[in-house]
Amino acid sequence: MWGKKQEQNRSERNISGCGSYQSPEVWAKVTGKAVYGIDLEFPGMLYGKILRSPHPHARIKGIDLSAARAIPGVRAVLSAQDVHCNPYGIVVDDEMPLAVDRVRYIGDEVAVVAAVDQKTAERAMAAIKVEYEPLPAVFNPVGALDEQAPQLHEDFPGNVAWERDLIRGDPDTAFREADLVVEDSFSMPSVHPAYLEPIACVAVSEYGNGVTLHTALQSPDLVRDIISRALNLSSSLVRVIGPVMGGGFGGRVFGNLKLYILSSLLSMHTGFPVKMQLTREEEFTVGRPMIAAEINLKMALRRDGTILARESEIITDNGAYSAQAPWVSKTFSERNDSVYRIPNIKTRARLAYTNKVPTAQYRAYGNQSANFACESLMDQAAKRLNMDPLELRLKNCTQAGDTTVHGLEIKSCALTKCLQRAASEIGWDQRKSGRGYGISSGIHANGSLVANKNFRGASARVTLELDGRVNVFTGEQDYGQGAHAAFACIAGRVLGLEPDQITVYSRDSLVTPFSQGALAMRQTTVGGRAVQVAAQELQKAIIQKASEISGEPVSLENGLLKNASGRLIELTEVATGYHHQTSGLNLVGEGKYVPPASDYDETSYGNISVAYSFAAHAAEVEIDKKTGAITVHRIVAVHDSGHIVNLLTSRGQVYGGVTQGLGMGCYEGYLFEGGRVANSSLADYRIPTALDVPAIDQVFIETEDPEGPFGSKGLGEIVMVPVLGAIGNAVADAAGVPVTALPLTAEKVYQAMSGGECSK
Amino acid sequence: MSYIIASDLNQALQILRDSKGQARVIAGATDLFLQTLPAELVDLAGLYETTQLEETGGLLSIGSAVTHASAARSLLIRSQAAALAEACAMIGSPQVRNIGTIGGNVANAAPAADAAVALVALGAKAVITDIAGQTRVEAVEELYAGYNRSTIDSSSEIIGRLLFKSCAAGEGSAFMRFAPRRALALPLVNAAARVRVSGRRIEAVRLVAAPVKPAPTRLFETEALLQEVIPGPEIWPKVEEAAAEVEVRGSMLRCSEQYRRHLVGTLAGRVLKEAYQRACAAEGGET
Repeated sequence: MWGKKQEQNRSERNISGCGSYQSPEVWAKVTGKAVYGIDLEFPGMLYGKILRSPHPHARIKGIDLSAARAIPGVRAVLSAQDVHCNPYGIVVDDEMPLAVDRVRYIGDEVAVVAAVDQKTAERAMAAIKVEYEPLPAVFNPVGALDEQAPQLHEDFPGNVAWERDLIRGDPDTAFREADLVVEDSFSMPSVHPAYLEPIACVAVSEYGNGVTLHTALQSPDLVRDIISRALNLSSSLVRVIGPVMGGGFGGRVFGNLKLYILSSLLSMHTGFPVKMQLTREEEFTVGRPMIAAEINLKMALRRDGTILARESEIITDNGAYSAQAPWVSKTFSERNDSVYRIPNIKTRARLAYTNKVPTAQYRAYGNQSANFACESLMDQAAKRLNMDPLELRLKNCTQAGDTTVHGLEIKSCALTKCLQRAASEIGWDQRKSGRGYGISSGIHANGSLVANKNFRGASARVTLELDGRVNVFTGEQDYGQGAHAAFACIAGRVLGLEPDQITVYSRDSLVTPFSQGALAMRQTTVGGRAVQVAAQELQKAIIQKASEISGEPVSLENGLLKNASGRLIELTEVATGYHHQTSGLNLVGEGKYVPPASDYDETSYGNISVAYSFAAHAAEVEIDKKTGAITVHRIVAVHDSGHIVNLLTSRGQVYGGVTQGLGMGCYEGYLFEGGRVANSSLADYRIPTALDVPAIDQVFIETEDPEGPFGSKGLGEIVMVPVLGAIGNAVADAAGVPVTALPLTAEKVYQAMSGGECSK
Repeated sequence: MSYIIASDLNQALQILRDSKGQARVIAGATDLFLQTLPAELVDLAGLYETTQLEETGGLLSIGSAVTHASAARSLLIRSQAAALAEACAMIGSPQVRNIGTIGGNVANAAPAADAAVALVALGAKAVITDIAGQTRVEAVEELYAGYNRSTIDSSSEIIGRLLFKSCAAGEGSAFMRFAPRRALALPLVNAAARVRVSGRRIEAVRLVAAPVKPAPTRLFETEALLQEVIPGPEIWPKVEEAAAEVEVRGSMLRCSEQYRRHLVGTLAGRVLKEAYQRACAAEGGET
């Protein structure tokens, strides 16, 4: 829990940074004054509603829109025939804004309505007549890969959305020569980020063919590009402005592209602003949850515990369209290989199209669900070798200076210390009987090059205002994780200003620098470094201008400008001087940060990221032997995220990430019934409540990373990576047998303990 | 839509009479608000008659509009009907408990409503008045017409209060639930028991589990195992086994049939043991 202990840790290890500064938006949120997408209203605004397919797979034989169009108050009713759009997608272009002749899952968008109010829009929807010819559907990804299975996309024969066969080193020899081979199969269902605010947007068509989209996104610039491509609009004519975001957790990197494109179409068609928002049920049934996965994992070891090789056979469930599933499948299939020194790797991964909700990602991009499997197998190996699970990890864990099996260059790494500290905090050497203990390690990349190999870094603009305050313009997004506070701290530290003298702007694609946005844990490390560089540029400009004004050399220290004669110069004086001289310009520092040589080859071998964060978590659980009910008593989260910029928000990140990991570990998961999402409400899709959250101890081991600003690295996603492994291993320890299917419900634990098959 | 806060029970009945079947009684409405609301609503939550909680002559009378929160913290209920206090403390969330009522929990007729399960174990009867002015008294378990369907017609009948004998010397009760998370989750199984002992020998026992049938269900065969018995350690596994014989349904959203039966057995054993220990502790007049 938060408290005195962490304060002591901080002073013990002399964590520098800017303490507990929070951006003003945090106070707007806690006082209920923040304006979210769902709150937005515009004059003349219409309401859009989507008619969705009731069939998992069907041919559209006919659509009759006439009755809907005749309803008073209805301003537009569109089907695929009425719009001219390009296919679009994030990884592959396999989607159209409205189904052309075929629907591929329950919820697929068939027609769209704009009306003066919600009720009229709903009545219009009910008046649309669609004739379907149902087609055979496939729901199981393994079945979808069968030759006889119904085919979903002509361009993807065999329903293979993505696949990968990878060999590094010589895994076959390693397995032949191993003293021990352990093997098990694991499964993880699809999960939803379950952010509090369902996605909402207002599209406003502009004269001159452009459109302004008001919606909260983690990566507004990437979304702008996709929208302009889909709508055949010049990209600079599409503007994205973000209200405050009510949670994202990866789910709002691309948000719901369908909603943005359809509201834009409706607005361009009617000339009025059009608001659309998902209901909570739609969030579950037509949102973009993270992929489900099945993995068979094998590991070869020497008697002394040295890991020789790992082999995995993976099938992930794509759903009807790809969204981010290929990239997530890739991270799922390989990131955990770099936690330990594993010289030989064999991976066969296939992503299968099924007639279900399309999939994307959730905080940690599949790395967290694979951690559950990989770390369980580590414990199974330790048991077979009669070795302490902690020792096995310490023997193999990655170190600073390593280049991992996939080519990641590890410049800073305190994983060994993280493991040791997690063990000592949880009481590894004094484990109580009747309790179960588990430990797990994780790695996560900072700003990996998934989206665009040629766009590695970030840029920022920092301006000195006439009143002596400083504005930071960045395309990196604050969605509750504290990016704005971190940037204010970083710029303030360069310029010698308090963070509250700095305002950070990030939410208007027309004004702020282009950015990849809040994905791949790149905000503080990559975006923050750009802010640091821009602030340094501004500092130079200020000093130069001040020297000009005072006619002698000037120094800027602790926010005070002083000339050689010792006279103090106010920042306002410099700002105003320049302003007058240029008839209105402000002093500006523009900064770019382009990471050194990050790249990868055609097998994806290479240093894909700027830096890598590490963590070890330990869990203490108790199991009711008669029912299998799990009580998670405590989780210790020890993190190497380099230098901690802001201790309060860092703690918040750990607290939230561990809680979400607990949710994935013990509570959450999509249930399907014939392609229909069976638990599409927060009553049935159960995320943890406050009562379910255990004590969470947080420790930061600070390394100095050479790349991140002031040595810092990312923290947001790594927090979720080792939680699942730690909880899974603690449950296995308490139950005496591993439970290999998420979520770890009481029933599965009970079945596993009684030797049943339900654990699978 | 009209929403009337009645000032007394007679007025509430008068409104129902006048509306000729259009109005519906509500008391808390934490479940009703999730459905389509009827055009006219008569709110019983503030009536004197339906919010009283009293004991007279060994009989506990609980107004139907007593909230779960007030029942859970009532010293009277905690000491004389522990099972009901425990059940009410576990319903929903603090917000639901502050608004939801005991009468509503019964009339909503959910198969595993926590308060209703405890009430049936305690042997509670509902006092029901209709618009013709007739009053009848019926056992709570008799008020179920099917899953989520009550025999009470809330457009013409009102549960005024619930009555049962308070736990006297040598009596104890207990309630337990098993749910997939600690709040805001329907139970996979809940169970309640009431036990009377004399010299550690069980003289009377009521054991109820849910969801088994539409109504909270007495497990008579399991009860019979304990009748006139001084329970030793060997009896509890038999009790669990017998209770787990009950027929239940499984569901994808909750759990399998097999696991639910196992839970019924486990909870039955635990709740009976707890009620028995409380009864023994309450022997000799201490309650």
